[in-house]
Amino acid sequence: VISQLHSSFRGCTVREFSFMAQKPGCKSLRIDTEACWGRCNTWEKPLPEPPYIQRHHRVCSYGRTRYLMARLPGCLPHVSPLYPYPVALQCHCTVCSTEDTECETF
Amino acid sequence: YEGLNPGPGCHLFPFNVTIRSDRRGTCKGTHVVYACVGYCESSAFPSRYSVLVASNFTHNITSASRCCTISKDAKIKVRLDCPRGRHHDDIEILTARACRCDMCRKSRY
Repeated sequence: VISQLHSSFRGCTVREFSFMAQKPGCKSLRIDTEACWGRCNTWEKPLPEPPYIQRHHRVCSYGRTRYLMARLPGCLPHVSPLYPYPVALQCHCTVCSTEDTECETF
Repeated sequence: YEGLNPGPGCHLFPFNVTIRSDRRGTCKGTHVVYACVGYCESSAFPSRYSVLVASNFTHNITSASRCCTISKDAKIKVRLDCPRGRHHDDIEILTARACRCDMCRKSRY
């Protein structure tokens, strides 16, 4: 039932996410946090005049965000063990802003 | 298209386009063309350290996304009807022929 819900879900929601926090001079640390996942309404429509294509491309990304600080183990003396990471408090469909986001496809 | 209710994925969706020869609409014609509309998967998560370094610690979040795009299009001719036997050449317009969840692009609107 859950996989059916997952495969038909539309919208954008907070979801658990695990990742390895890594930086040079420290050992890595597995962190569990909240990130965003979903399916946003997007479209492309032909126009009779320039620019010929009108598009509405929105992606599921962080709405409200809190930052937590992890402490990485085994850091060299001159390396700060602190590793800030985002926690999604709320997610929404929005334009991917290259100002604060690495926008990738998959 | 927010009110549309297709399932996940990216699908052809018909709509009417009306072409006018001038602002007054002396000659005009209407034709059904197709847009691509749908719900494609996207996610956002903390960026890898290499991304943080490359962006000078400004890109704290990575978005991995696909959006509904026109993967194949075609030109179709629209015949314009004019009053009192006047004639206007056919106008070519684009229509979508196939859709795909693919790279998101910056919107101009």
